[in-house]
Amino acid sequence: MKWERIRIAVMLAPTLLVISILFFGSLLYGFLQSLGYNPNIGATDINFDAYLRVMFSEEFSGRFWSGLTLSLWVAFCSTFVSAAIAIFVALLLRRTFFGKKLAVFFFQLNLPIPHLVIAVGMIMLFSQSGLVSRMLGELGLVTSPRDFPALTKDAYGIGIILAYIWKEVAFFGIIVLAILQSLGEDYEAVAQSLGANRWQRFRTVTLPLIMPGLMSASIIVFAFTFGSYEVPRILGVGYPKMLPVMSLDFFLNPDLNARAEGMALSMIIAFIVLVLIFIYMYITARTVRKD
Amino acid sequence: MRRVPFYAAVIAISIAFLAPVISFMINAFAYRWFYPQLVPKEWSLQAWVRLKLIPRPGDRTLESFIDLWTGVPDVISALWLSLAIGTLVTGTSVIIGLPAARALGLYRFRGKKIVEFMIIAPTIVPPIAFSLGLNINFIRWDMALMNAGIPIDLAGSVFGVSLVHLVPVMPYVVLTLSGVFANYDADYEAQARSLGAPPWRIFWDVTLPAILPGLFVAALFAFLVSWSQYLLTFLIGQGRVVTLPALLFSAAGSGNNAMIAAISLVFIAPAILILLVTSRYLSGESSAAGGFGRV
Amino acid sequence: MISLKRTIQVALLSAVSAIGVHAHAESPPGYDSWDQVLEEARGQTVYWYMWGGSDAINGFVDTFYGDPLKEEYGINLERVPLAGTVDAVNQVISEKEAGADGDAGSVDMIWINGENFKTMQQAGLLYGPWAESIPNSALVDWGNPAINLDFGKPVEGMESPWSSAQFHFMYDSARLSDSELPRSYAELGDWIAANPGQFSYVAPGPGNFIGTRFVKQLMFELSGNHEQWVGPFNQELYDQWSMATWKELISWEPNLWREGNTYPESNADFKSLFANGEVEFAFTQSPAGAGPDIGAGVIAPTSRAFSFDNYMIGDFNYLAIPYNAPNKAAALVTANLVLRPDRQAAQVQPANGFCCGWAIDVSRVTDADQIAAIETAMMNLGDAAADPARLSGALVADIAGEYQNLIEEDWQKYVLRGEPLPE
Repeated sequence: MKWERIRIAVMLAPTLLVISILFFGSLLYGFLQSLGYNPNIGATDINFDAYLRVMFSEEFSGRFWSGLTLSLWVAFCSTFVSAAIAIFVALLLRRTFFGKKLAVFFFQLNLPIPHLVIAVGMIMLFSQSGLVSRMLGELGLVTSPRDFPALTKDAYGIGIILAYIWKEVAFFGIIVLAILQSLGEDYEAVAQSLGANRWQRFRTVTLPLIMPGLMSASIIVFAFTFGSYEVPRILGVGYPKMLPVMSLDFFLNPDLNARAEGMALSMIIAFIVLVLIFIYMYITARTVRKD
Repeated sequence: MRRVPFYAAVIAISIAFLAPVISFMINAFAYRWFYPQLVPKEWSLQAWVRLKLIPRPGDRTLESFIDLWTGVPDVISALWLSLAIGTLVTGTSVIIGLPAARALGLYRFRGKKIVEFMIIAPTIVPPIAFSLGLNINFIRWDMALMNAGIPIDLAGSVFGVSLVHLVPVMPYVVLTLSGVFANYDADYEAQARSLGAPPWRIFWDVTLPAILPGLFVAALFAFLVSWSQYLLTFLIGQGRVVTLPALLFSAAGSGNNAMIAAISLVFIAPAILILLVTSRYLSGESSAAGGFGRV
Repeated sequence: MISLKRTIQVALLSAVSAIGVHAHAESPPGYDSWDQVLEEARGQTVYWYMWGGSDAINGFVDTFYGDPLKEEYGINLERVPLAGTVDAVNQVISEKEAGADGDAGSVDMIWINGENFKTMQQAGLLYGPWAESIPNSALVDWGNPAINLDFGKPVEGMESPWSSAQFHFMYDSARLSDSELPRSYAELGDWIAANPGQFSYVAPGPGNFIGTRFVKQLMFELSGNHEQWVGPFNQELYDQWSMATWKELISWEPNLWREGNTYPESNADFKSLFANGEVEFAFTQSPAGAGPDIGAGVIAPTSRAFSFDNYMIGDFNYLAIPYNAPNKAAALVTANLVLRPDRQAAQVQPANGFCCGWAIDVSRVTDADQIAAIETAMMNLGDAAADPARLSGALVADIAGEYQNLIEEDWQKYVLRGEPLPE
């Protein structure tokens, strides 16, 4: 028994070592620096100055709160809309029909394409002089780029949300489609025989069945869209900025002299994500117990 | 006739999903494609020539292609570099992750939940939260290594970047493979052992064939996650390790759509290839699908 | 004050003076002679950190510097493309924080000017002084304040000039006629009011000096006098004119592109708005005007350049070597090559893709072949260039770096974020 425990420890050691040193070590070091602890320059006091400055000082607070609002808004919209579209498409594609394989392939196409590339594609499609605007122009619905709404590099993060939708619909989609296909249509057939209409069947049968998978996918997508950098960097505006972009700007720009603030901001992002995940785990644990 | 609206919906949705790729395909070959032209009036390979992916017109011989590709211009060298890093990271992550996945898949032990949490953590915590600290740590460690007489650079080197890519890659490799081991019967190994087979033979003849499909999928995901890393490469590579995403990011600021589209096509080609190969493994295996979630 | 193109033309017409390229007695710090530099540089790789957003510039550097460095000096050129020069500055700062001194750094050379130079100079992050002790520095007019001051900050041999540039505008001759063009900020204000939604400018901010420059020039015009801005930073002067500047810019907003709610975040974005007809003007810094962008196919071939009648800022940009550069000798050789007259002649020609102005005083060149190269380059500026007389007549020097930060911060605060102006 003892030998087996040592064996297991040895098997786990390399992976845990890599993750502990590179990931947890850096997280800890970043956290200490955000608290003003930097023995290289002789600073050994620990304080929350950088956090307080980012959140409440006259210089940064306006940017911080607007950035937080935008981040939450973008993460919420991206998650919710992607999930809704994915359910709709998955319901459509679960039937058997001619060309299903191809349609499912297109459905999954954006899955392996990096976010960065999709963000760039959104500019080509949805900028005021982009492909969609030109199509509407051809149809006579708009006469100049100015008539087309600002959907990329806009203050409401619509371009960012669009990019995430393109990516995450595919992500949600395969999860929902997999659940639906493993379940089959038996439950719904029963409901139908009991006289339930389409919407009732969806509401009372299908949705509860896919809900657990949908929820855990949602939390992954929310955490990702809240904390990732590439898409808002490419599709965002100077003000308001999503928090990850703001964090890196503070960290990298020597003119701003705000490296500690940048660190603090990255910790705040991680903290918010972790709190959300703990809330989610708490809720699922409770519902599971109730059942 | 009820099928008509159904097919219309399916086709409309398919076009929407394809739209980004379609726009790259048009843009990459369009020249001076300004508003309000819906279809480009001028077509050109100039973006590809300027990126040195193809030789100048009138010079399209095999020799000139070879000259071009061995002359290591930006895009080609970025492509090779991304491939090299991706392969290195994939190989390392599988070697490191395989025993851990086996331990998690086959055994129950105290602290298993904590180990699982530690391995999943990098997929949940936003990369920005640890990459800033890592950026400084690497420079510190470089100093320590140099003082110890070991001339290895972590910051700004291909080695350092590959090492760091392990952080987002490991969780998916371990989770996918531990799922494989959970359905694996270790008794066959015991039988082989009782027949006197040496450990490497057992691994080669018994274990490997059983886990090979799962291993293959895990490796492809590992490659894809590494392939699409931008932020870590940028912060740890200090701008010196110019992979394809780094190149695309800097091109995205140039405003030249043809160029951006051409690089994008080069960048997504392997990803789509991987999707074609793995799509049949995708359904049902959601921890594997998680690998795509971070791309 | 140097007037870029015109001076050169005048200089060429006049008899070429006999100032030869003379060997300097002083050598760069750490070296006894230039020969020693050359010897040490052989076999080194120079990591040149520079903004990488223009493939034309990247290609120019690789071809016109990379090849001769390899062939003539045995040096490998590794160009490190950056999204903004500030990344390189930050890199050196991080290295210093971590104690990577001596030659333990990673950056050999940075394409730099203005604020980034000041940051590095003040933090003691630069190697030097060396710029006046490389052989070709004899061709540089170090007595010219536009060269020996970088945004008001004395250069003091810590950076060596590469090229020059002057701000002016582009328009599309297929959409606007020459007579409609505004020739001052006052006229531009009227034009905006008469053509709602068709004007914008690059958001001033880190990495977007061209937008800051656009705002600075407005400040000059409102103050009615550029002379008072030259010299050390003057807070009172700034306070006196900055509010008027913000008021003017805010008054434009209802008639700007997207009602001034957002602004283009980079000059490339701005250019693509211009190319697609979303806005009617764009900025250029090239002596060939719209030429380089037409050549790259990013704007319409009918695009042309024009200048206001006054307050068009011109300046030089430079190469600097960090204090911990691992390959200082190779960096010195590269900086010297950049100033060689045939390389300088190559850089002003639009066809070569770089297309910035001269860094050397061409009247100091004596070699016949080199003079021929310069003359050919002058012939080839193309008809997409702005009227050179008007451009040089409007030239003013840039001002102390402190203004830049203030303008960027205040612009973002009052104009972009719309915080109320103090009474």
